[in-house]
Amino acid sequence: MGAMRTRKKATARKASKTKRRSRPKGKAKPKRKAGAHAAAARGSYAALAAAALDPGLGVRQRIRALADLSGEICDDTGTFHGVLDILRDAKSPSGLRLAALQALQAATFSAVKFSRSRPEYLTALRAVAADPDLELRQRVLGLLARERDGSTQQKLLDGLKNPAKALVPPEKALQLLGYDVHADAYPVARRIVRDPPNPAAKREALRLLAADAASAPVFEEILRNKAEPAEFRQLSVSVLHSLAPRSLQAHAREMVLDDTEDDDLRAAGLTALTQFGEQGAITADAALVQRVDRLKGGKGSAMVKKGARRFLDKYRP
Amino acid sequence: MQIELRINDSADPKARYVSWAPSPCSVRLSDPTGASQPVQVTLRQKPAATGGQVRFRDGPSASAKTSLSLTLPLAGAPVPFFLTGVFGRASVMDGDVTVEVRAGTQVLGSVPLMVRVRKDAAKLTAPERDRFVAALAKFNDRGAGGFAAFRAMHTDLTSPEAHGAPGFLPWHRAYLLDLERELQAIDSSVALPYWRFDRPAPALFTPAFLGRSDSNGTVHFASTNPLQFWVTDGVPGINRRPFFVTGTASANVITEAQTLALGNQYAQFLRMEGNPHGFAHTSFGGSISSIDTAAKDPLFFLLHANVDRLWAKWQRRFGRFDPALAASFANGPSRIGHNLPDTMWPWNGITGGQRPATAPGGDLAASSCVTAPGAKPKVRDMLDFQGAVAPHSQLGFDYDDVRFA
Repeated sequence: MGAMRTRKKATARKASKTKRRSRPKGKAKPKRKAGAHAAAARGSYAALAAAALDPGLGVRQRIRALADLSGEICDDTGTFHGVLDILRDAKSPSGLRLAALQALQAATFSAVKFSRSRPEYLTALRAVAADPDLELRQRVLGLLARERDGSTQQKLLDGLKNPAKALVPPEKALQLLGYDVHADAYPVARRIVRDPPNPAAKREALRLLAADAASAPVFEEILRNKAEPAEFRQLSVSVLHSLAPRSLQAHAREMVLDDTEDDDLRAAGLTALTQFGEQGAITADAALVQRVDRLKGGKGSAMVKKGARRFLDKYRP
Repeated sequence: MQIELRINDSADPKARYVSWAPSPCSVRLSDPTGASQPVQVTLRQKPAATGGQVRFRDGPSASAKTSLSLTLPLAGAPVPFFLTGVFGRASVMDGDVTVEVRAGTQVLGSVPLMVRVRKDAAKLTAPERDRFVAALAKFNDRGAGGFAAFRAMHTDLTSPEAHGAPGFLPWHRAYLLDLERELQAIDSSVALPYWRFDRPAPALFTPAFLGRSDSNGTVHFASTNPLQFWVTDGVPGINRRPFFVTGTASANVITEAQTLALGNQYAQFLRMEGNPHGFAHTSFGGSISSIDTAAKDPLFFLLHANVDRLWAKWQRRFGRFDPALAASFANGPSRIGHNLPDTMWPWNGITGGQRPATAPGGDLAASSCVTAPGAKPKVRDMLDFQGAVAPHSQLGFDYDDVRFA
């Protein structure tokens, strides 16, 4: 910690010197040409870097400075290391650490400029992946999961298999594993669908299984079970359309014609038919078109009526 | 007696879209039956209480008029004129403007058209919003549609083509334009809306539009919203967890005024790649907050439409449309793909070497309204988007709050 503080101060001093150097001596008001602008900007960034890293300043002021530093964080090694130090320092205020993370993340969007800093950035992220601060941990694990970081994926999977080891709730772990789906996640996802710790975890497990053709029967079963929440059945419709696109029309038609069906499902079925249905087949389907016409003026929800209106606009203009 | 009215120098109904920049048009006698000498006609907009409004010009820089008198030769030669949308009076639906051609009191012909511009997503009418999400969902087609190529264009591997160098803004302008034209091939009335990330946008983050996020970051849609069928990389749905209150707060970004004040040189303005651009992305958890996954979320395109709009505003404020002007772009050589004469990947189809290994998506989509920037655009082609320097450079889009002149 002591070494870290010393480095912070050294960086702040260096930044301050840079600021002073940027002022040309002996000229009261230099012309604001591109070179002068750049020099002024360098001075300004140095001052911002100094403010961001100065433990003597208020947290708000430092957070503002981190935001204003923008993509320049990795222009100066000292500043970059100082911001990484803030991120890693569990004793720093949570808001400041999150601001440091956001500033680093924003800098990653300048990918080429950031490339030389990237290995250290990823190492720092891994170092705080098990941080006591849940919000920070969750954001960091998300970043690493989107980097397809193998060790992070393994930790998420381990947490699903053994909740005592879990770094994040199961629904978050499943969601993050969805950024780079591997078949070894499917068994645990199927188990969670069968025995979910909460509805959100079941939903995320279903989303993860969407690319698994072998799980099609799971979705078929949920779709046909009217006791399942509408959300899962709606997701099943969507997934089945992806796994077997030709099934769309049949599933959606069935839901629209079924007067005992949930209104949300019927509206989703109407939306699917309107959006992705085969024009010729649907226009020729008199029974379907007539039923939708009745839905338009029936006792169903506003969503069903809206879906019916759009369907008829397309298939019976 | 009959006339032919050509909008954007085309008889194709799909070319009947104008914006703030002047569109080249013409009118000619297609059937002179009954006429023995050149016919005097008047062009005007059929009165309408709502919707778009247009004005007529003799030439691209002539003053705008509510009506225009022209003499049509008997032999059928076309007589050119220009149409512009009235700033602040964009259309709300396809064909809500009708241009009439009269000889005296006789209507010789008319065409419906649209003043089509990119609008603030938070202010779209419900039908405008619905047409946009329907076109986007159709293009995604449950993960099997043309959107997959767009998702593949913006990843970690392709990032050097688009980020961290002067081509950042031109590349993304081409990317948005390509997508917008694909959406217009599905529904010609659609223009890409923008998300003003420096203001609250309560109408955007709703189940009927781009969805509402739960605490886990899973986005939920209304059952009538076709984006519920959104699929990327084989996984349905969208992950997006805002770190701000979408209904009442803006993203954690600098304001528009601060962005436009970054400097009057392109190199200074380019700082916006960090803030507001990078900070708009990272004001969320989820796909949009990492380069590799950002384009999985439809919000990406609205966020970048605003980035592009800010560039357009900056260009307008400082007169930075001309690639020949040093302040309009970065000076000095940059890596390939980021210099004015360079072609841009993936539209150039070049793979390997300094370019990515594959080039998804093929040529940049063509427009029925304009010819620029062509199938394989160069960086320089993206600057003069309104045709302010050279009318043929016009890219066929405008923003609702960026004037032509």
